[in-house]
Amino acid sequence: MIQIAGILFWLVIIPFCIGLLPAGFMPEDERKPGIVLLAGYFTMWAVFGLVTIPVVVFVRYDNFILASRCFMALAILGAAAGVWLTYRRRRFGRLREWMSFADCIREMSVAERIEWLLFLLLLGFQLYKAVAYASFDGDDAYYVAASLIAQQADTMYTILPLTGRHTGLDIRHALAVFPMWIAFVAQKSHIHATILSHTIMPLVLIPLTYLVYYEIGRILFGRPDRPAKSERSGENLPLFMILMAVFQIFGNVSIYTNETFFLTRTWQGKAVAGSLVIPALLWLFLLLYSGRKKGAAAERAGIWLLLVCVNITAGICSSIAVFLVSILMAVAAFCLAIVERDYKVLFKMGAACIPNAFYVLTYLIVGYGYLFKQ
Amino acid sequence: MWGIFLESVVIFKNYMGFHQHRYLAFLYLGILLYLWFAEKDRHRRAVFVYAPTLLLVMFFCPLFRKLFVRLLDDSETYYRLLWLLQMSLVSAYGVIRLCAAHRRIGTALACLLILFGGDYVYDSEHISKAENAYHLPQETVDIAEMIEPPEGRITALVPADLIYYIRQYSSNIELPYGREMLISRWAYHHPMYEAMEEAEVIETETFVELAREYPCAYIILKEDRETTEPLTAYGYEVYGQVDEFVIYRDLETGME
Repeated sequence: MIQIAGILFWLVIIPFCIGLLPAGFMPEDERKPGIVLLAGYFTMWAVFGLVTIPVVVFVRYDNFILASRCFMALAILGAAAGVWLTYRRRRFGRLREWMSFADCIREMSVAERIEWLLFLLLLGFQLYKAVAYASFDGDDAYYVAASLIAQQADTMYTILPLTGRHTGLDIRHALAVFPMWIAFVAQKSHIHATILSHTIMPLVLIPLTYLVYYEIGRILFGRPDRPAKSERSGENLPLFMILMAVFQIFGNVSIYTNETFFLTRTWQGKAVAGSLVIPALLWLFLLLYSGRKKGAAAERAGIWLLLVCVNITAGICSSIAVFLVSILMAVAAFCLAIVERDYKVLFKMGAACIPNAFYVLTYLIVGYGYLFKQ
Repeated sequence: MWGIFLESVVIFKNYMGFHQHRYLAFLYLGILLYLWFAEKDRHRRAVFVYAPTLLLVMFFCPLFRKLFVRLLDDSETYYRLLWLLQMSLVSAYGVIRLCAAHRRIGTALACLLILFGGDYVYDSEHISKAENAYHLPQETVDIAEMIEPPEGRITALVPADLIYYIRQYSSNIELPYGREMLISRWAYHHPMYEAMEEAEVIETETFVELAREYPCAYIILKEDRETTEPLTAYGYEVYGQVDEFVIYRDLETGME
């Protein structure tokens, strides 16, 4: 029972309440529960990275205790601030749409309902497979064992996960603290880190990924205010989601694709980077520049804040992901600057990448700093 | 430069599964081409057409590959650049645009194309029915429960089959060597691994000497693993057996 309560608290309540904070600075029509939850996760992961990475670099003994205490305090404060801000501004806005969910279904045509049901079946199938089937991956010997060490020995990256021997800081893995976040949730919910990684995390990360696809689809197709039968009438959204789900299930054309990573190593940071973080960047690009310039600059600050948080999240997922998202940011900024005919896009996007620059700097100083010592 | 370009082509083909006759990539490339002509919204063109095309050009550009590999000091992960293409997103968007007039039939046809051009992920040899909530082989859990100390840590020597899993169950069980020994391209050498896995028949005397250097409190061998002399002749006792794995406890170093 305490385990279920812990999971609900740290994987649903806390991220959702934290998400109210950036959502408060978003246009009102984007303040939907799904977006709040996504915003909460990315903000929470960014805070986790900002707290944990310095601790990994500067503290050697019992560093997991220090990092988890600091993060716990900040997460709870952030969640409380989110609730307080929302209450103070009376900005529940579209959150009330939770209540009108039944109306939404009632307005759908029978065909649309069947399409959504089909998508939900495909999603349910993936979740069933994730729980009932074990997927072997050699990298788990490192990542899952690293989470377990943090949970059982209260230390991060001072013990080699593969053997258990003491080790120096392996910078390539040490800055990607996603396994430590899993260890944190495992410790707080009293669940073995391996069970959490293999059985519970897919139940969270797979729906979260589809939530990003849904939000992308909503921008591309889901405009209920548009006339029916048009591209954006909203009727295409369930078909888009079905296609996405089928693509994930049959995207295993090689062991390298992000679709394969998504369903076979869901709990690993690199899979999260490939299937959740990168699509989230595309979602935010569309949200910022989709031609629907609603809301004042202050109302769009939340989206920019989220863009920064997604960039930091890439860093906690994998050190290579930082390079990847920086490349994507640069390419997208270049393309968007051309179509917008506005060079300021480059500066704005560049500013959102500042955490990546700090990350790379830390990587180089800690990893190769010895070259400059005598 | 030509050689580097050809390397990128090989990485692309491997990523897209061409060598296994998987042609999902053609759906993506076809859709990308279609979007070049059909997409009129300039922002969507930037995100779904220009950016992926530019990324593809960069991927095949030898100078870019050189820079990427030099910066990351790692050529094995270059394929991850292709993650930025988000093939499924672009393809799904393009298919729905393309089939706007007959969207349901179009989606059904696209699903069939994905089904035949792709590969069912759950068919993988690495996916099997979970035996427990840990998603670890049950024998690993049983063995780890038998040898895990109530407090402190012990070192155990385990066969290659268990190396990946045992420390995912308990961090209190240490190993003389880990997964790094099982990846041949990493080319690690370890005398204990060589004595345990590479010798056709385990040379018991030197094997025991090596194991006691750590010291390994437990040695786990498959029941059909041949040894020149039984371990019991060298101060070990049979502590238990789980399926095909026999657990030996070192009476000199093993914990009660």
